[in-house]
Amino acid sequence: MPEELRLSLVVGLIAFAGVLGWVWRVRTGRAKAIDRGELIDLKRLQATKSGLPVVAFGRRVTFLQFSSETCSTCKQTARLFDELEQTAEDVLHIEVDITNRLDLAKKFHVIQTPTTLVLDHTGRVTSRIGGAPKQSTIDQQLGSFAI
Amino acid sequence: MSTQIDPRGPRFGAAITATLLAVDVYLGLDASTLSDAHALLGAITIGFLWGAVRGPANHPYGYLFKKLVRPRLAAPKELEDSSAPQFAQLVGLLVAGTGFVLGFFGITAAIPLAAAAAFVAAFLNAAFNYCLGCQIYLGLKRAKVIR
Repeated sequence: MPEELRLSLVVGLIAFAGVLGWVWRVRTGRAKAIDRGELIDLKRLQATKSGLPVVAFGRRVTFLQFSSETCSTCKQTARLFDELEQTAEDVLHIEVDITNRLDLAKKFHVIQTPTTLVLDHTGRVTSRIGGAPKQSTIDQQLGSFAI
Repeated sequence: MSTQIDPRGPRFGAAITATLLAVDVYLGLDASTLSDAHALLGAITIGFLWGAVRGPANHPYGYLFKKLVRPRLAAPKELEDSSAPQFAQLVGLLVAGTGFVLGFFGITAAIPLAAAAAFVAAFLNAAFNYCLGCQIYLGLKRAKVIR
């Protein structure tokens, strides 16, 4: 194969990967509003927080984060929400590892992790965030629940 | 066994791997350098095997990162579990290994193709912090490809 063609193919491959990465970065971590979302059943979720079962939603908003074992960005996302929780006491962050809870993965159609469901004070899903949420996404979600 | 590692370590390794894979694609596109491409893909496959079995922290690139790069960087904001990059290494092993093995059976087109596919994943990891374990682990588990 001619040298120029080989080089162009390799450069094309790098450009393709670059565009793919750029599109992924733009799209990941954005919130998608959910109309008439379902009510989350805490009993079925069986989530725990600091070793205790979660029995109530956040008074303003709850971020329900689904994580998995082999997910490094899940941890970064959890830290972001934990920091937020400390500054706003009416915000609740729940993290559920669904690696071994495939029933939940199936029910909520989770393919990638982290996937975060945004819930209002009654536990109804209002938005869904696929991938690590951007700070702007979180701020925007908080704003939509301003009291 | 999983350990806690600096998340920038695997990205550093992915950058080296991506560079090698791009060179491999270039070599694999011409008949005169095809055997070199095959040998290089074999070396890259062994690298993936090492990472998949012993984990990224015990990989030569991990060692290089610890000795040469990390002392020049600020402390990481958080550590990550090594299971995520280890899973990515396993995926790399399957992709690169398939091309390497097919090369022995006269299917030489598999060499640059496998290198190109692995390049995209390694490049996305290095440049965009794309995490295969986050994106496809749960999907594979739900599809019962892995248990």
